[in-house]
Amino acid sequence: MKKLLLLMFAAVLAVVLVACGNEDSESASAKEEGDSKAEEKTTENTEGIGTVIDSPVEIEFWHAMSGDHEKALAKITDDFNASQENITVKLVNQGSYDDLSQKVMAAAKAKNLPVLSQAYEDWITEYLENDLVTDLTPYVNDPKYGWSEDELNDIVEIFRQSNTWDGKFYAMPFNKSTRIMFYNKDYLEEAGLEVPTTWDELRTAAEKLTMEKDGKKVVGLGLENSVTLEFNQWVEQAGGEYLDEESGEFKLNTPEGKEALEFVNGMIQDGVARTAGEDGYMSGPFTRGDVALYIGSSAGIPYVAGPAEETGINWSAAVLPAGKEAATPFAGTNVTIFNSATDEEKLAAWEFTKFLINTENTAYWASKTGYLPVRYSALESDAWVKYKEENPVYGVGEQQFDAGFYDPRVAGANELKNAVAKELDKVLLGEATVEEGLEAAQKAADNILGN
Amino acid sequence: MNEKPTLTSTVKALLYLLPALIILGVFNIYPIIKSFLMSLYTDYDYFNDVVNEYGFDNFVYIFQDPEFWLSMKNTIIFVIGVVPISIAISLAIAILLNAKIKFKGLFRTIYFIPFVTSVVAISIVWRWIFHTDYGLLNYFLGLFGVSPIEWLTDPTWAMPSLIILSIWKGLGYNIVIFLAGLQNINKQYYLAAQIDGASSWRRFLHITVPLLSSTTFFISIVSIINSFKVFDEVFALFDGKPGPAYSAQTVVYYIFENFYNNWEFGIASAAAYVLFIVIFIFTLIQLYIGKRKVTY
Repeated sequence: MKKLLLLMFAAVLAVVLVACGNEDSESASAKEEGDSKAEEKTTENTEGIGTVIDSPVEIEFWHAMSGDHEKALAKITDDFNASQENITVKLVNQGSYDDLSQKVMAAAKAKNLPVLSQAYEDWITEYLENDLVTDLTPYVNDPKYGWSEDELNDIVEIFRQSNTWDGKFYAMPFNKSTRIMFYNKDYLEEAGLEVPTTWDELRTAAEKLTMEKDGKKVVGLGLENSVTLEFNQWVEQAGGEYLDEESGEFKLNTPEGKEALEFVNGMIQDGVARTAGEDGYMSGPFTRGDVALYIGSSAGIPYVAGPAEETGINWSAAVLPAGKEAATPFAGTNVTIFNSATDEEKLAAWEFTKFLINTENTAYWASKTGYLPVRYSALESDAWVKYKEENPVYGVGEQQFDAGFYDPRVAGANELKNAVAKELDKVLLGEATVEEGLEAAQKAADNILGN
Repeated sequence: MNEKPTLTSTVKALLYLLPALIILGVFNIYPIIKSFLMSLYTDYDYFNDVVNEYGFDNFVYIFQDPEFWLSMKNTIIFVIGVVPISIAISLAIAILLNAKIKFKGLFRTIYFIPFVTSVVAISIVWRWIFHTDYGLLNYFLGLFGVSPIEWLTDPTWAMPSLIILSIWKGLGYNIVIFLAGLQNINKQYYLAAQIDGASSWRRFLHITVPLLSSTTFFISIVSIINSFKVFDEVFALFDGKPGPAYSAQTVVYYIFENFYNNWEFGIASAAAYVLFIVIFIFTLIQLYIGKRKVTY
């Protein structure tokens, strides 16, 4: 018996040791291979990027898409893989955006990054500071694999801007969304209201639409829980600014910021507006008929359309009501390629990126998800125009391109937005006054920005 | 059996212990040492793993951080809210289950289910129960004319909601331990007391409570330690946020947020060490009291 135990133990130990040893030697040989390849490349790098893919390359794309969004992405990826001889793209779902961000950071530390990933602009700033991302400019300009001037300019300008750091491209726009206003047609009609287009009209509509209906409490205006996280929208509409990217100065604690917070908070305190609260997202209460209007991401369209069909809610969407100015933030992520990849992998990733946002695919993607097409040609394409005619809500987002702006891209922007949102939440929950909230937000922001 | 240790027997013992030692070393001992070192990193380059400066700045920072003190306060409220009530309820249920009732096995299983179910699944159900407009709890309260309470979105109710969920979740484990303790009490005592004419309440007070004291003591230590470490329940119940306006932020959540969301590894590690010391002190106090009050 004793001997048997010893034998078993020895066997287990041996397996463990062998397994560990193997891994080491494998990764070491892989590294050597990579090194020798890199040497080869430098010698033949005479024209363009000079990389050729002549053997199978498999690359991983880390993303945070789920539901219909994920299905659409999988379809485009399958199409791409089918069109390629040597390149295979493997989609890896990393959960939510927060999870994705955490996993990328952990992978960066473990020197185990994927070849490409979705990333917000402020993440990329952080990656840039740590030299993790690939400069895509040589790929864009490459005579063989790149884009012509026209093709590059076909990318919607604001998205080109938001992906440029010091004149260089470090990512390409992928799933870009904007805020739109969903509304319940029947409720508006019954109240004899037009779709609100200004803050004043929005306030009036919210008041009128807050009502008792068939024993159900209806609140006029719905706001996402992230309203304080994306408060820049309201500040910009009030004519102000959230954060100056150039000077790194936080500007919420200004008359404009105060006006914006008073406007939003006033509606919530008066009970004519509410946040999604325990429902997570406003699409739930909206499709149950608990709110009449709601301001949310255009990427929420499929999440409204499906349940609305079941509950029989008659709905549509419109551009955001304007304050002093019309303003809407462009949210959503970009595709970025990491430095740690080999030249072949980078090229493969570039090929995939081009495919992902070509005219046909960006239009397909937009029609399935509510994100915006990122190319002018896609916006004008027959398929898209026809689709919009049949489904007008999908065309709302692009009507706001001129009013669009993007989030500040300073490093630590995420931490900053969270800290500010925490203080503004206290105001909306009635725990602090508008003045106290703005001051606390300023203090928290200065603390993070080191001002 | 009392052989003198020889070289062979020591080596043999070590070999037997090795698998456990390796696992404990890699997953327990190493992280404890590493996080202590990390709490001293004051200037740290995460990606290249270069520490430019060591010091106690992180500890100074957390002691001056109102967020940290708020988290500590919330955690202590949570511990005080959960542990005594949980022990009282589970003891009562355990005594009932120990009595001669029908379907004893079934009830024992039912009460144990929350303990083996994942926190996330439980939280999803409770989020529905707590829902302001459509929740079961507000529906019942409504029958008694109580107007709907915003359990999860009102900062004053967030902590009570969390406490209710946690008590419910912890019952099963405590009940099982109590049942084991109850079954260890010799029936003779009860019979003797009955002959002496002691009422059931007196029997409970003078036989069950003292003879169960070592079990109660064990449960209270385990519950307090676990309650100080509360995190999953917060994260799942409030959908990844520590309650409305951070009203249910606990120390472990503070550690999590600094580590994963803010990438402040030093601060997170320092907070983890402070938590460790707090739990350690509480356990020492309990052991001290236990020595004098617990009957074995």
